[in-house]
Amino acid sequence: MVSVVAADVPRVGTIRILLFAGLRERAGWGEQHWPANPGCAAGLTPRELWLQLQLPGELGSQVRVAINRQFADADTPLRAGDELAFLPPISGG
Amino acid sequence: MSSPFCPQSVGADTEAMLIKIDLHSTGFEPLVVLEHWQQAQSGIAASAAEAHFIGRVRGVAADGCALEALELEHYPGMTEQQLEQLARDCCSRHRVNRCLVQHRIGRVLPGEAIVLVAIGADRRGPAQRCCQELLEALKHHAPFWKREWRSDGSREWLSGNTPL
Repeated sequence: MVSVVAADVPRVGTIRILLFAGLRERAGWGEQHWPANPGCAAGLTPRELWLQLQLPGELGSQVRVAINRQFADADTPLRAGDELAFLPPISGG
Repeated sequence: MSSPFCPQSVGADTEAMLIKIDLHSTGFEPLVVLEHWQQAQSGIAASAAEAHFIGRVRGVAADGCALEALELEHYPGMTEQQLEQLARDCCSRHRVNRCLVQHRIGRVLPGEAIVLVAIGADRRGPAQRCCQELLEALKHHAPFWKREWRSDGSREWLSGNTPL
């Protein structure tokens, strides 16, 4: 079973996961490092991590995904060293 | 060799485009910033047409209560990248040559400026259209989040933008 590593500094072989604003407060955390499973042929996707982390809300219609600070599809395979962010509805300007 | 009927590349326009983007963690005076931006393009290089938009925090929350402050969170690194990409794409589409975007982060009080968008172009049409389009783009695609701090002590993250 994959376990969550406590957040602090970037770690080799992990995916850094970030939450923002109301999503961070509902989840109760803002950053975690998740093992990237280098032995697996297919990389984890944001959608799979969303389900495994049991995050609140609905991915896609309410929450967008960014990988390495670029908007991305929720089914994009992740690699070790990636920075994954789940973004609640944006309200700038 | 390109055909005269093919869409013209925007590469050269993009190279010539001047884009200035800043995030402010404390209050800024939009008219002062605008004046400095205009002074930097004086003389023959000045734009023939300019469009400006200044957005300020209103004193009323979404539920009608008095608003004490608006908190603006952003995603350091991605917000700046996204603002620049949105500005570059929008300015290329409208073939304008100067763009200024100033945005607040942190705690903003009612009446304070939250955003300034200014566009310099050769014609009023592209300047006005680009200014409006870029403002809407940054409202929906630049990672900022607003939380209302109401005078009754309650606070709430907003899940969308105010109507156009």
